[in-house]
Amino acid sequence: MSLILEPLLYLASGGFYWWWTQNLTVFGLAPNLLFAAALSAAILAGPVKGIAWCFMLGLYADMLGSGVFGGWALVYSLMGYVVYVIKRHFDMASPFSQLVAALALSWGCLLFYQGLSLVFASINPAGLKIFLVEPFLNALAVPVVFQVFYWLKRRSGIL
Amino acid sequence: MSREKDAANYAIVFFVALSVIFLISPASKIAHTARIAVSYSLYPSLHYGARYSYFVRNVPANFVALLETDQENRGLKEKVRALEMKLQESAAMTSENERLAREMRLSRMLPWAGSWARIVNKTPADWYGSFYIDKGSEHGITVNDTVLGMQDDRAGLAGRVFEVYPKFSKVLLLTNSAASAVCSIAPSGMQALVEGKGTWLLKVNYVPEDAEMAEGAEITTAPGGLLFPPGVYVGKVRKVYPRESFMNFITADVAPAVNVNTLEEVFVLRRNLPRELAGPQEPAK
Repeated sequence: MSLILEPLLYLASGGFYWWWTQNLTVFGLAPNLLFAAALSAAILAGPVKGIAWCFMLGLYADMLGSGVFGGWALVYSLMGYVVYVIKRHFDMASPFSQLVAALALSWGCLLFYQGLSLVFASINPAGLKIFLVEPFLNALAVPVVFQVFYWLKRRSGIL
Repeated sequence: MSREKDAANYAIVFFVALSVIFLISPASKIAHTARIAVSYSLYPSLHYGARYSYFVRNVPANFVALLETDQENRGLKEKVRALEMKLQESAAMTSENERLAREMRLSRMLPWAGSWARIVNKTPADWYGSFYIDKGSEHGITVNDTVLGMQDDRAGLAGRVFEVYPKFSKVLLLTNSAASAVCSIAPSGMQALVEGKGTWLLKVNYVPEDAEMAEGAEITTAPGGLLFPPGVYVGKVRKVYPRESFMNFITADVAPAVNVNTLEEVFVLRRNLPRELAGPQEPAK
């Protein structure tokens, strides 16, 4: 069952993120729901599946974007591993720890991706506005997305 | 726990390696074209940047041409919208230019000296009562100057200057219920008082019951009135009312020569009236 539901959830996450960025942006800003989904999946799933989810969502972000291909996949995969390490020491199920983790990891991911883009393509993808605001939007989005994923996990056993 | 850690380590090594391969190895034409097609379909604006050439490397030329055509199409649509706006503006300006040219030509044929002024403010509460013009005492406007409007290639009486300020003036319209003018009715030249009613129509009053006043008769200002120069077209008799049993004169409705609703510029006549009629010399503050 999860073989069907997980790809569906993956596509739904990507589709919902696309719809949000097309219709609900405020001053060109929107929470990065792919990031929120990747973080939530990394927290809820086991290490291999969590990293795989992060990788696949990163690949989706690479497909949507026009930057270096594989950049987000690498960044999110590493984020999945970091979350696996962190959750062995902290309770990542609480909204506050998710919020703090989302804030820190958002900035980490943006900086790392910025570095990758500069190294591999000499382009500067993230604007200052995104760098300053998006982590806070992500921090707010992650607990919500986590609850949705958690509910789906309990209902259907996915992740 | 150790097995889980090992699995995690293997997984991260595998996925990092896969990502790095994606990063460093150039994607095949088909893969890259698919990626560009997906990202272009979902976020076309991403491809408008200056680094566009970087993103479309290794993509078949016909696909790039397709994308460029789409972008060109979007750019042209923007241009068409901007040009349509400009066209509307220029049509309005052409129409205004034609109107002003016609009015200038007419004003040169008038036997009176004066200057053109633009109507700058009409008050909805006093639509047929008064309006403001953009000329004041600094432009030589004085109280009681005659104000003409041009309609159907003819000058008609609109009203008179009522208040003068340094840079603008207030015009009392003939349609104002407090305004009146001594006029003569064609063809007999009989004189009567034309008064405003506060509506778009005027009223001609105190016409002897035996006077010949037909509907359509032209009314012009009479030489007897001091406020307005003689011979200015005031309007046409629209409807003659029969004498009331208790009155010994008849009245009529007059369609004014100038339609206040379409007036945009007026011609203010310099009258050089006697001091007593010209009002206070100091402009109102």
